[in-house]
Amino acid sequence: MPQSIVELQSISKSFGGIQALYDISFKVRPGAIHAIIGPNGAGKTTLFNIITGLYRPDEGLVLFEQNPIHGLAIHQIVRLGIARTFQNVELFASMSVLENVLVGHHARLRSGFWGAIGRWPRVRHEESRAVEHAVELLRFTGLEELADQKSSDLPFGWQRFLEIARALASDPKLLLLDEPASGLNAVETSQLGELLMKIRERGVTLLLVEHDMSLTMGISDHILVLHQGRRLAEGTPREIQSNDAVICAYLGKD
Amino acid sequence: MQLQLLPRPETRNQKPETNIQPSSAGKSADMKNLCLGAAVVAAGLLISNPYHLQVLTFIGIYTLLTLGLNMLMGYAGQISLGHAAFYGLGAYSTGILTVHFGWSPWLTLPASILLTAAVAYLVALPILKLHGYYLGMGTLGFGMIVFIFFREWSRFTGGDSGLVGIPALALGPVDLSSRTAYFFLVWGTVLAGFEVCGRIVNSRVGRALRAIHDSEQAAAAMGIDTSRMKVHVFVLSAVFAAVAGFLYAHMINFISPNSFDFMTSVRMVTMVVIGGMASIWGSVLGASVITLLPQWLHVFMDYEMLVYGLILMLIMIFIPQGLVRGITELYERSRTR
Repeated sequence: MPQSIVELQSISKSFGGIQALYDISFKVRPGAIHAIIGPNGAGKTTLFNIITGLYRPDEGLVLFEQNPIHGLAIHQIVRLGIARTFQNVELFASMSVLENVLVGHHARLRSGFWGAIGRWPRVRHEESRAVEHAVELLRFTGLEELADQKSSDLPFGWQRFLEIARALASDPKLLLLDEPASGLNAVETSQLGELLMKIRERGVTLLLVEHDMSLTMGISDHILVLHQGRRLAEGTPREIQSNDAVICAYLGKD
Repeated sequence: MQLQLLPRPETRNQKPETNIQPSSAGKSADMKNLCLGAAVVAAGLLISNPYHLQVLTFIGIYTLLTLGLNMLMGYAGQISLGHAAFYGLGAYSTGILTVHFGWSPWLTLPASILLTAAVAYLVALPILKLHGYYLGMGTLGFGMIVFIFFREWSRFTGGDSGLVGIPALALGPVDLSSRTAYFFLVWGTVLAGFEVCGRIVNSRVGRALRAIHDSEQAAAAMGIDTSRMKVHVFVLSAVFAAVAGFLYAHMINFISPNSFDFMTSVRMVTMVVIGGMASIWGSVLGASVITLLPQWLHVFMDYEMLVYGLILMLIMIFIPQGLVRGITELYERSRTR
């Protein structure tokens, strides 16, 4: 059995009378690109929010590197090494591109109020290392020249890339991307695909929720298909594409 | 160092100055502090009219209040409509300890800071779980409770008639009771406050606070312990208010509950908004406007509330970014035209 970085064990979650997820079990292998797909309302985002700690599962376990993490606060989960991006880009609009990435590095820095007031050498050193780290990530995502721009002034596609740079700044082991291609044009989507492959080469495991099938099928190693809160299918892109149940769910045939 | 990321010429033109690099931001802040310091020294030496000195000292005390509240409101984006309570706690704790227990004012300073910080911490834990209007109402309620406490605990606070006989400050043999000396004491504290706030804003903590303001959800997703951060900045702003209260009590030598009522809290919020949210420099301007307006507009005495309300409305409608930034932007626009 392959080692898993995240393992979901029979997760169920309901909101009021609506059962969003039924008994979902899923393993994310380290170093791979995983995708969760499914029609609207399938429970993809709920599953995402359970892994990142926004929701607690009603039943089941979430294991990160074999340790249970459900019930931890969101910021604690980030510290363990899980970063995320948002479906509707949530940048810090009043801050510059560089500052956004610096905030992403927050969990790996230590200086607090006293350090800020005292500006000890250790704090200054940490700060300049943080800037170097952030600049490296901006270079990695191709945003280096925009470092001083206000983040809300960027075109939408670049905002998406910035959000990814910001998420990477927390040095995650697992990066969750919530519909990273939505709102991107075809060129940007293919650039995104290349970026995601590059991120995997850095040793970061990726888990994405995505509607864009060409992107998902092109880069994923493993796909989980959800339908109305249940697991419909799981496998490689090729297996999923030829799976009858998946075709039915998407095209509405029977 | 890989800091040579100046944008290319074409991008440089679009962007006025957003001194983002921590080092350059620090330098320009140092320059501004130097200028303000020079202005303070010049004013202190040149102005001899005691009334003018007292007004300027008041502006200094209000600037401290505004500075602290701005960290909470302008940077972290959390409103407080009860901040006069902390101002009052600082004033009353030093007042009571010096008048009733004969403590030296220099001992009561740390005592009043600690007491106010402790109260702020205990209040912040539950209250900062609230958002928006609810946080406004919660802090308003807290301010009312503390106000009633000042008024009713008359054995120590003197109730409505106030607490009389708070000693003037002296630093060893140096008497600080002269208007000029007190002016320097207050403005020296303000300058220190500027430095502290400037350093916090341009640090990991300051970035986290601004991140919470922009999007609390995303801030948490960056590993920021948002509730802890909010509690800390709430305590910080309360400490600024406590120091201001301490300085106020020893300047006037008399305090009464009315100086710390709801209207004072509103005035503090007004000062922040007028100067500009998230603008350290706006604090001086906001404090000056609100201190000087009643002096100039005696006609409005009974309509103070109305005038404040009107000013707030006009500013929110026409220059929501505050006077400092509003004026800077106007200037830049006229220059580029």
